[in-house]
Amino acid sequence: MWGYILKRTAAALATLVAASVLIFIFIHLIPGEPAAVMLGDAATPDQVAALRTRLGLDEPLFVQYFYWAGSALQGDLGRSIFFDEPVTSVIADGAQTSILLASITMVWVVLIGVPVGVIAAMRRGSWLDQGLSGLAMLLASIPTFWVGLYLILVFAAQLGWLPSSGYPSIFEEGGLANLRYLILPSLALATPNAALILRLTRASMLDVSKEDYVRTARAKGISPRQVTLRHILRNALLVVVSAFGFTFAALISEAVVTETVFALPGIGRTVVQSILRRDYPVIQGVILVIVCLYLVLNLLVDISYRFLDPRVELE
Amino acid sequence: MNAGRKTKSLIVGCAALLAAVSVGALAAADAQAATLRYATIGEPPSLDVQMGTATLATTIGQNMFETLYAFDSTGAPQPMLAESETVSEDGKTIVITLREGVPFHNGQTMTAEDVAASLSRWKEFGARGKTLNAASIEATGDNEVTITLAEVNGAWKSLLAFPNGGPVIYPADIVTAAGGEPIKPDNYVGTGPYKFVEWRPNRHVELEKFDDYASRSEPADGSAGAREATIDTLQFVPVGDVSTRVSGVQAGDYDYAEYISGDLYGILKDDPAIAPHISNAPIFGLMFMNSKEGILAGNYKLRQAVLAALNMTEALQISVGDEELFSAEGSIFPEGNVWYSKAGTENYNQNDPEKAKSLAEEAGYKGEPIRLLVSTNYQQHFDQANVFKQQLARAGINVELNVTDWATLLKERGEPQSWDMFMTHHGPSPDPVLLTFMNASYPGWWTSEERNADLAKLVGTSDLAERQEAWATTQALVYEQIPAVKVGDVFSFDIGSPQLKTTWDRAPAFPYFWGATK
Repeated sequence: MWGYILKRTAAALATLVAASVLIFIFIHLIPGEPAAVMLGDAATPDQVAALRTRLGLDEPLFVQYFYWAGSALQGDLGRSIFFDEPVTSVIADGAQTSILLASITMVWVVLIGVPVGVIAAMRRGSWLDQGLSGLAMLLASIPTFWVGLYLILVFAAQLGWLPSSGYPSIFEEGGLANLRYLILPSLALATPNAALILRLTRASMLDVSKEDYVRTARAKGISPRQVTLRHILRNALLVVVSAFGFTFAALISEAVVTETVFALPGIGRTVVQSILRRDYPVIQGVILVIVCLYLVLNLLVDISYRFLDPRVELE
Repeated sequence: MNAGRKTKSLIVGCAALLAAVSVGALAAADAQAATLRYATIGEPPSLDVQMGTATLATTIGQNMFETLYAFDSTGAPQPMLAESETVSEDGKTIVITLREGVPFHNGQTMTAEDVAASLSRWKEFGARGKTLNAASIEATGDNEVTITLAEVNGAWKSLLAFPNGGPVIYPADIVTAAGGEPIKPDNYVGTGPYKFVEWRPNRHVELEKFDDYASRSEPADGSAGAREATIDTLQFVPVGDVSTRVSGVQAGDYDYAEYISGDLYGILKDDPAIAPHISNAPIFGLMFMNSKEGILAGNYKLRQAVLAALNMTEALQISVGDEELFSAEGSIFPEGNVWYSKAGTENYNQNDPEKAKSLAEEAGYKGEPIRLLVSTNYQQHFDQANVFKQQLARAGINVELNVTDWATLLKERGEPQSWDMFMTHHGPSPDPVLLTFMNASYPGWWTSEERNADLAKLVGTSDLAERQEAWATTQALVYEQIPAVKVGDVFSFDIGSPQLKTTWDRAPAFPYFWGATK
């Protein structure tokens, strides 16, 4: 067992080193440079060259890599060229917003997708089922940015109920009241995902309802409500709950567009802006953190197989 | 706990959360009354405005940092931190007397040493510092600074007044410590009516009223004269999406939003929830030509062929939209400006493909591809490049578009072998010597005997009439040798809340809010 864990950890570390090299090379292969972007259009090549030198960007690529990788090993991902702040702070600030946004979105997804999916399944074939299924198809196919812009137009610009954009953290002045800044973006982000969960819940409910034990329960005279809630829904949710994990992970990447539309200081928008500015340390830092997360999660999953199912052989 | 109690607890919990959200929202609304929220197109690179020419950095920085001179509403430089000046007969020695008792945000009082150190750093490392051509800058008294120029520079006062990449005044210890490095936010210390509070990446830059600000006594006139911080706090919030900036002003979340798409002007100008602010300082598109390498280098006839084929009105209609937002104007400086001239402009907006064909033939052009570098970050550049490609095709000139993002364009335009023409734009300039195509080291690298002779006349005197005449001759040369093609004047379009009352009607190049109320 320990041998297996060591082997998998070594493989993960090798993957991390390979990934770090690839990240570094690919980012620096993109034409363009931060010095020119920072100095503005009127800068002369001499001024750009001088700033490149000050930023250490004129060093050979492998030297820059070893500086970066050496610091990263000590937990220092460097400083943002653009903001002149530690990359770890930039990532932490963005991640706080993105994770909170994804969490609130998940609440909407569960609160809307599951009950509506159950209702559609219970009324299978009715006009209500067809209407809800059609609506789900429609919502799943509408781009998030479009939904976002219309939510802003109606609830912020027309009705004035909610803020149109931005997000002061809940840990700052305003406290929990600042959550109102995330209501519209989370709704926009939840729309296609709730629609997908709705369809998944409905399909799963219909599958389970054909099972023998459901027929037996009905034959025993248990009330239809009890059969639906205790026997069908509970089993159908196994499939739906396993989809929540993927949905949550996908929300972080899908949030790029939503964060841009709603001007949220999330990690997705930070990466996009950093690419446009060629802020190499931030791009590298964010990608490296994501790679690390995936590697750790995969490692834990691999190891957990052994505990979950003792029949799995660890070779 | 039974189901009923669970439901009750859930309802109570939700109600408490809603109450917290609502109370907090009301408190936030009160705080907003004393704050002006400005939705910007993005994040500025650094607010050390000496070191960069980003427009947004100047818009924010001008509230904190001041220059020795400032432009009045006619574009003439007037004393700001300076009190007066004397210029020697040969025009090379300028002695500037400074205002006394001007405090910095850190409590120190501005001295001649601070000014000399700031100007010296700008001269050495500043974005536009080399244009002054100063041999030395020294503090020659408690409130006196002497600038000795290597060559006479008739534009010296405009250069000291221009805040974009300009010589703003910091305390001496801060500029000495920074040297050629950008000054860090902790040291954003100036003499302006607002002082720095915080810069939170991707969230906002916040400034607050500087209570000890020493205002000039003259009435406000453009950027010159008295400045009064009538609004307590300024917040500059990056909102990249233009639709969100518009909705944000409509919703009352922002008091001002910059760079609204021209195609929205027709819809928004009559919206009662919005006050449109068209700029009074046009920016103009430029298509640079490569004077160093490639098919256009030194081939003035072929350049003239390109110019003859272009229909600027069509390019502006397609790329800008509403006619109130552009002007097909050939003069490099807009009408009403001291540098306005019609010299050479008969060659602007010719829309004559037959003449272009004939000129191209004279130039020995055989249909070789001409590479036009353009970025998609600026939609207007991209639209204009596409229009020009088609117009030039009608004249038998074969243009190949090389489409990149802006960062790539900035890199590639520095490589003379990579392009023949590239699209960019130019902001308002206070003096011809600051035009990018007049700078021989700026990509395009225009230099010729005639250009050098004209430039020498332009900087060789401080007499305005002589300088205007020299500029007219230079502009005529620009239309003959064509270092860059001017597309036309574009008036950017900002919007504000109708409650926001500013001291200007049409937005200045760098909108400022001292004297404003909301």
